[in-house]
Amino acid sequence: MKHFVGVVLAALLLTLLVSAQSMDDKPKVVMAPIGKVELRAGASKDVNLDFRVGSEYHINSHTPKSPLLIPTVLKLDAQAPVALGDFKYPAGQDVAFAFTGDEKLNVYSGDFTIDAVLKAPANAAAGSYPVKGTLRFQACDHSACYPPRNLPVEFNVTVVK
Amino acid sequence: MESLVKRNALVFVALTVAVLAMLASGKYLDRTRKHGPLKLIGDVKGVEAPDFALLTLDGHKVKLSDYRGKAVLLNFWATWCPPCKVEMPWFVDLQKQYGKDGLVVLGVAMDDTEPGEIAKFASDLGVNYTVLLGTNKVSDDYGDVQYLPTTFFIGRNGAIVDKLTGLLDRKDIEDDVRKTLATDPDAPGRPVTVQQNQADAQPKPAAPQVPEPKDATR
Repeated sequence: MKHFVGVVLAALLLTLLVSAQSMDDKPKVVMAPIGKVELRAGASKDVNLDFRVGSEYHINSHTPKSPLLIPTVLKLDAQAPVALGDFKYPAGQDVAFAFTGDEKLNVYSGDFTIDAVLKAPANAAAGSYPVKGTLRFQACDHSACYPPRNLPVEFNVTVVK
Repeated sequence: MESLVKRNALVFVALTVAVLAMLASGKYLDRTRKHGPLKLIGDVKGVEAPDFALLTLDGHKVKLSDYRGKAVLLNFWATWCPPCKVEMPWFVDLQKQYGKDGLVVLGVAMDDTEPGEIAKFASDLGVNYTVLLGTNKVSDDYGDVQYLPTTFFIGRNGAIVDKLTGLLDRKDIEDDVRKTLATDPDAPGRPVTVQQNQADAQPKPAAPQVPEPKDATR
């Protein structure tokens, strides 16, 4: 009984501490959960990663109009033998803001999707392989900007024969 | 049997107290990790501005206290911040117009880039005031400056006259410059208090709702 109470309280403590840590730093961008990603050995498959920018914000696209602006970049590493590449970023929207005058910035707002291609060699062993990385972005709202952030991105690819 | 119940109740109470204490210390540690025990958060008007020693773009050390007796406009900015770029020509004009009256504009660049790139950016905008290389410490000391631009107006007595966040009208900035120039160099500022540390002045809009899961290989 004592052990049970201890375990429950420890779990509660961990949950509350994690939520207390994360409440201070609200994300400007979140990622949609990825369902099951199955890949046949010897084949390739497109994977679509969906992101959402908070309604008060915009982030620079992958190809902002100035080299001074920080582009949105997805960096992912797949565990061998799975390989991931050929990232395709959506075109941003050209938008003029109160702080840019007539000049337009190329941005993502709302929902956007980045596509990539998964590959597994014919001799890949069946199993689950993690893909991990980050989406680097820099957000602004209608009158100010926030420092660049890295959003963790993680999912598993199941290789089948 | 009775003693077993009592012992279990005691264990439960002890565990609950331990959990609450750990939660409280966790929240405190998190806050102090981010803001430190005494930082410029909340209503900062009249509070003594924290002193700092920062490097200029050409490597000279500058302290805020070097400018005691002057009216200081302390602007946190970055090269990747388009709204900051709008204000900088205004600061150039204000430095020209009010420099003879004792205004000193200091720009604190919160970039991770090379000082040379920051210098080129500033030069292209005709910046005529001192640009300093920002650090995490100065950001923390001034209330975890994450929202750029953020500008502090520091009176001749070293106390903060006003803090402006985000891009506003030039008139708002100039009004604050005039107020700052009019400060009494001998008026005492008030120290940062614990109360100021409790409030959080940083704007925090809600996080976006997580999109519905979809078939990622659709």
